[in-house]
Amino acid sequence: MIYKVIAKPEFEKFIDALVKENLSFGPRQVDTDTKGQPIYQFKEVSSATDIAFDYTTTYSSAKHFLMPFRENLSHFSYTDGDWEQEITYEVKPIVLIGLRPCDISAINILDSVLLNGHFPSPYYLARRKNTFIIGMDHLPLPDCFCKSLNHHTVTSGFNLFCSDIGDSYYVSINSSKAYNYLKEFEVQDPTYDDDCKLIERRKLIKQSFKTDVEVTGLPSFLDIEFDSPIWTKWGDKCLNCGTCAMVCPTCYCYNMEDRPDVDLQGSSRQKQLYSCNLVDFAEVAGGHNFRPKNGDRLKYRYYHHYLGFAENANQPICVGCNRCGRACLADINPKDVINDLRMEKESCMICISESPDKT
Amino acid sequence: MQHLGFSHKKIKIGSFDFTCCEGCQLQLANHESTLPAFLDLLDIRNFREISSEKHDDYDIALVEGSITREDEIERLKTIRKNAKVLIAYGTCACFGGVNSLKNNFPIEETVREVYGNNSVDTLPVRRIGDVVKVDYSIPGCPVSKEEVERIIISVATGSMINLPKYPVCVECKQQLNTCLFDLGEICLGPITRAGCNAVCTTGKTVCLGCRGPADDINFESFLQLVADRQLSLDELDEKLGFYNCFEEFRHDKS
Amino acid sequence: MHFRVPGQDINREPFADNVPDFHYQSSLMQTDKGYKCRITNIVPLTEQEKLFQLRILDPDERNLFRFRPGQFLMLQVPGYGEVPISISSSTSNNEQVELCIRKAGHVTNVLFEAQKGAHVAIRGPFGSSFPMEEMMDRNVILVAGGLGIAPLRAPLFWINDHRDRYKDVHMLYGTKEPSQMLFTYQFEEWEKINHIDLHTIVEQGTPDWNGRTGMITKLFSEIDIDPENTHAIVCGPPVMFKFVCNYLDKQGIPMNRMFVSLERRMHCGMGKCCRCMVGSTFTCVDGPVFDYWSVMNLKEAI
Repeated sequence: MIYKVIAKPEFEKFIDALVKENLSFGPRQVDTDTKGQPIYQFKEVSSATDIAFDYTTTYSSAKHFLMPFRENLSHFSYTDGDWEQEITYEVKPIVLIGLRPCDISAINILDSVLLNGHFPSPYYLARRKNTFIIGMDHLPLPDCFCKSLNHHTVTSGFNLFCSDIGDSYYVSINSSKAYNYLKEFEVQDPTYDDDCKLIERRKLIKQSFKTDVEVTGLPSFLDIEFDSPIWTKWGDKCLNCGTCAMVCPTCYCYNMEDRPDVDLQGSSRQKQLYSCNLVDFAEVAGGHNFRPKNGDRLKYRYYHHYLGFAENANQPICVGCNRCGRACLADINPKDVINDLRMEKESCMICISESPDKT
Repeated sequence: MQHLGFSHKKIKIGSFDFTCCEGCQLQLANHESTLPAFLDLLDIRNFREISSEKHDDYDIALVEGSITREDEIERLKTIRKNAKVLIAYGTCACFGGVNSLKNNFPIEETVREVYGNNSVDTLPVRRIGDVVKVDYSIPGCPVSKEEVERIIISVATGSMINLPKYPVCVECKQQLNTCLFDLGEICLGPITRAGCNAVCTTGKTVCLGCRGPADDINFESFLQLVADRQLSLDELDEKLGFYNCFEEFRHDKS
Repeated sequence: MHFRVPGQDINREPFADNVPDFHYQSSLMQTDKGYKCRITNIVPLTEQEKLFQLRILDPDERNLFRFRPGQFLMLQVPGYGEVPISISSSTSNNEQVELCIRKAGHVTNVLFEAQKGAHVAIRGPFGSSFPMEEMMDRNVILVAGGLGIAPLRAPLFWINDHRDRYKDVHMLYGTKEPSQMLFTYQFEEWEKINHIDLHTIVEQGTPDWNGRTGMITKLFSEIDIDPENTHAIVCGPPVMFKFVCNYLDKQGIPMNRMFVSLERRMHCGMGKCCRCMVGSTFTCVDGPVFDYWSVMNLKEAI
């Protein structure tokens, strides 16, 4: 990786040049909530001044730029008693500005799930290859817990990553494209002082986390606690609304359907991002539902996020951004659910220790 | 479908309105980009918004509006007899709709309020399904043209007719909207059936549940959410009653 | 123009860093493209089930399509959708694929309306298979309940193709009613030519039914099981294979020598959509064939 330092006004000039030439998205304030806190989303930007560089976090993640909520996978054109299936993977390049380390980690996880399995997804690959990512570090919000999952820093998956060191950004350059663009601007090699500032900055970020979710041994806890009553307890709160999965940067489960064209001369095969909390997620032909209860579905989401699945080498896919927790209307968040699970387990351990000695 | 070895005929369709604003039927004439192709699927036998022809042989009857008069009952029964498939069309037909607000008052009082001393033949508002058997429902105030197209095509091609089972939140989040609860409002999105593409909440207007309850909603948790946020339960009740879609849940509660 | 990010067209470049493994059958970039097939024949079996014979049109694609007993494919009906169907024909039949399909959802309903000569598409094959080589030189018990006979036909045909390599082969087949019994026209051939020891039973007989009635486990009294040297393949509804496998377990057959095929609603077949997850396992990639010990370890499998 190549490191450079760029003064903030110069950086904005660079961003402005990039944004003016490309379809770009960055954090913008869209609303203010009842507590007076700004709400941000990744929205299209047309100049550097559109971008809220000092934003906290966005309400929704950036995953839909790589995996649209609804996407045409192929089209069938009917001809006299026959059909042809057409598939192309055509995407225009986009620039994403201001992604947080957890957001970039999430994309790295999606890469491993969607590109490294038995059946890599060309649809995802086309978008991934055509996405230019500029990351920016930030001080964690009180409920961020990415540090617990080791996603508070990121070393790959971006073209450019900026650390805020006061009047300048300390930038990590991870692609030749980014390197060439930056050549046109006034950038310096980092001095000893800059390096110190970067280390200070990283230390500050690390020390600013207020929420810690203990994930050590979590896979084994989850495996043991399959029938735990806590799933019913949290399931009873769950609204089955799918909000968590929609805002999540790594939830990728989907639904497939065929949609005929109105003139009946063809049809599209569409993919729609789905959520395992939705009532018919595990329904099969004939109507049988393998997960009829809220708790079953909620549990499944936690299993996917913290136990991981084989396609992903059994790695947890949660990055600790807590978007699901913030967005959940029923106040369900990973920290509380996992703590509850641990409490349950620990009370169990007390029972064991109190039982009479078997030897 | 030619490629499967069978073809389909044009659908003989009739569209009828009862007590309503006829806004849903007008939706059928919307969505200009696909309108010619859509109309091409249909053999319109009876549809006063679109055509002056009137025939009684139709496969599908779209029925809009709720039932509020004796003579409407008879007319509806005849339509049921003529139609192979009867589709309740729009929130009034499926749930009673805004009209049902009148059921909250003594019938004499409502007549006096609107018509003074003129006598008017009127009944408490009933859904289409209260009077005749309904084969399919397309809710919405108004219905979404895209959904109507999809369902009519399903009927034409013999495919499955299904409405989304999940709530509006899914579509609302897909539009990247700010949750209206975060702006201090009561929104029925979490309990209302999706399919409208969250058109109201995208326009920063709360969902009033015109599409009725989603499958397997967690109403208790929804009440809790409104209470926890110290929002008005009376306002909630008013919203739930607006389209008459959540009666089973409102009454369970009390 | 100076700062325009150049577009990258993956339609014209090698796929990803590592070449996808389509079980060496499909070429690159075809993850959602199906092999176009003609429905060459439709055999009505019962009110609810029909056997569809499909022939892949393109000769190269027909050559590429090779599968193992127990694998499934995604059947695409353009305009209606896609359904996972287990392959019910012989692995040595390279000319056509047979699918035994029950009318259960909207795609299969439409398929029942389709005529001979219609064009559909298949993707696959996907998933795990029965370890037929491992069972060689041993006895095999095939147990089918209801539509479970459909996935069971592939291993049965395999055994018939390599009959000398397998010792005693028992087949137990049960349905609810006599009218639901599938492939009865093949029973004689299986018994007389392939030397399969076939036993059938129905839960509820009809006046014209002369065979046995009762639960499928009743048939075990008619066969001798040598637990040391026997493998079992069990296909049917979860309740049924649970009973059968528990019985076989008691007879002393190790759980990892009993194989079952799980059924879930796959949407992609490629381990991506997560619709067929059982516990934390993909039915479409790690399954549908599992040994019974693995099934016991899968949460929410039965």
